[in-house]
Amino acid sequence: MRKSLIILLVLLLSAGLVFAGGKKEAGKIVLMTAGDTNMLAIQQNVLGPQFAAKNPGTGLISVHTGPGNAGSQRIYEKLLAESESNKEVWDIDVAIVHEIFMKWAMDKDLLLPFAKENDSWKYVTSPFAKTTLGVNIEGYGIPMFHSQTAIAYNPQFVKNPPKTYAELEKWVKDNPGKFGYNGVKGGASGVSFVVGWVYWKTGRYEKLAVTGPVEQSEIASWEGAYKALEDFNQNVTYTAGNVGTLDALNRGEIWMGPVWVDMFFTFMKEGKLNPETRMILPDPGMPGQPMYYVIPKKAANPELAKKYIAYATSPEVQGKEIVEKFNWYPGIDGSFLEGKVPPEVYKKIYSDVTPADLQKKGLSFPLADYHTAMLESYEKWVRK
Amino acid sequence: MSDSVIGRKGAFRLPSYVFLLFPAVAFILIMYAYPFILSFVKSFELDGAFSTANYKKAVELYYMDITFTFLVTLFNSTLATLLGVLLSVYFRLNDSFISRTLIKLYRIPIFIPFVVVAQMMNSFLAPHGILNLFLGKIGLIDLDNPLQLFNFAGLSFGFAWKLIPFTVMIIFGGFQMIDNSYIEAARSAGAKLHQIIIKILIPMNGSSILVAMVLVYSQIVGTFTLPYMLIGGKIPTTITVDIAHRVNYYRDFGVANALGVFSYIMVIVTAVYYLRMNMKDAKIAHPIG
Repeated sequence: MRKSLIILLVLLLSAGLVFAGGKKEAGKIVLMTAGDTNMLAIQQNVLGPQFAAKNPGTGLISVHTGPGNAGSQRIYEKLLAESESNKEVWDIDVAIVHEIFMKWAMDKDLLLPFAKENDSWKYVTSPFAKTTLGVNIEGYGIPMFHSQTAIAYNPQFVKNPPKTYAELEKWVKDNPGKFGYNGVKGGASGVSFVVGWVYWKTGRYEKLAVTGPVEQSEIASWEGAYKALEDFNQNVTYTAGNVGTLDALNRGEIWMGPVWVDMFFTFMKEGKLNPETRMILPDPGMPGQPMYYVIPKKAANPELAKKYIAYATSPEVQGKEIVEKFNWYPGIDGSFLEGKVPPEVYKKIYSDVTPADLQKKGLSFPLADYHTAMLESYEKWVRK
Repeated sequence: MSDSVIGRKGAFRLPSYVFLLFPAVAFILIMYAYPFILSFVKSFELDGAFSTANYKKAVELYYMDITFTFLVTLFNSTLATLLGVLLSVYFRLNDSFISRTLIKLYRIPIFIPFVVVAQMMNSFLAPHGILNLFLGKIGLIDLDNPLQLFNFAGLSFGFAWKLIPFTVMIIFGGFQMIDNSYIEAARSAGAKLHQIIIKILIPMNGSSILVAMVLVYSQIVGTFTLPYMLIGGKIPTTITVDIAHRVNYYRDFGVANALGVFSYIMVIVTAVYYLRMNMKDAKIAHPIG
């Protein structure tokens, strides 16, 4: 019995040593990113090694938490747990997160206000760096890139693409089954389309996305907009997710559908989309969103983290990697990229959806409470 | 042993089997029972107070999805069991090249994860997917108006593809235990094929058929990937998709838990049946006294 007790103790001790994690290596940045696999790829294979080559003795350990808000939620839960357990030094140095994360993290005071002293802050002009979903975040995050939704169409079948939501509504009635989207539960391109629909039907973008206030009577007034969407849906083909819409376009099952611009270009580049396919951003516009670099409040290596973010948001990296290689819109002001991006790449990215379009029709997602209400209203009023 | 602490005379002595049981029981309590009970409790909680609001919302927004999930589950577990029985009968009574080859092949889908099945079904069942293109080429359908299969039908096809092999594995195993002499005796007494199936094979193998059905049933209730990837944003959809939506978009664990409770209710009848049967079998194998 004594012997087995000793064996048990030894086992426990060794398990403790193995799982204790020990002290973190100095010079290693731990980065956690939400988003699709391309988010991991750019950090792990591109920016991490480049940064390490420029700064000997440093390195990047990247962790991927998965696509969509769920990915950001995992990062949030990790930080929240560290904060609530009163840990002195937290594990993550840099996180890359969605808009909704910023609201959650600001509510719980989980972030370091680093952005304004950062070297690249002078390039940041996006309104998304000041407020997001109606929450003031200025100084707590720097946009890594900007992502926009638009309507992709096949010009072989659609000669005159609808320029407004109203024209689209009519087009869908005339061409049943040829417009496809993924509802609100199958990915954010569908969510974005629905949000744009509500902006159009209510005509109150400023109130819903910028100024507020959040009022119950406002939400109740959307019923008509959603009932119209329910009618609209009767002539729509549902697709299986963001990728599903692009696939269906490529197979010719649908002729039109909302897509993320960066996914559109990536599919195009990989030969997974008919090269004739084009895009249009209909009036009054559709939402887009950035992803942010943030530093947790008690990060172990805040100085190194700041340096890394400054590097990742420098005009060189933004031009070469974010725009040219990964087809996102830059997180910093596009005017600083002149000369950093080959003209043909610049033209490709901005040909269908022009910078002027983006300025006018690149909207933001609504205030957090309205965002929730819009999704829930869809479930409540769109029953077919 | 006599010098150990717990072995000392007069001291409280735990029966030794407790130590043997402890790891397994603790694991089940911590990993299954605790989250299960917690999810039930939390489904009645809103802002820290007792409330039935989560259920109200779950029913109001998702009653169609709850019904849909129940119908999908019921239909597909019945279908998988029925076809499983038929295939097993074929394997049991027919000894030919084809049946021998099929016996070797049929298990493959069991080892393919749902996410792969879902992706496969996505390109197979799409309006311009493999199936529709094939039917279009041989002139059975018009490709401008193809079969729409991202719905109940397609979902059922996916479940059947993945789960029939599973039911066959269990049911065929049961059929193999039935001695040939029963079948031969019935045949020599003049029994026809359907009589052999209905009066000999199925009754003698009833418990494994029901086990197969119960296991398939509870698997379907909990499947997320296939419905999410096939019919994700459609109306209606399954409650697993709704649960993910509640958590990912709203961080609303209350309604998600309430929806979870609906899925518990769906499986509880079958779970109770399964446990009772297991206990009956255990009693037969190890009669007490």
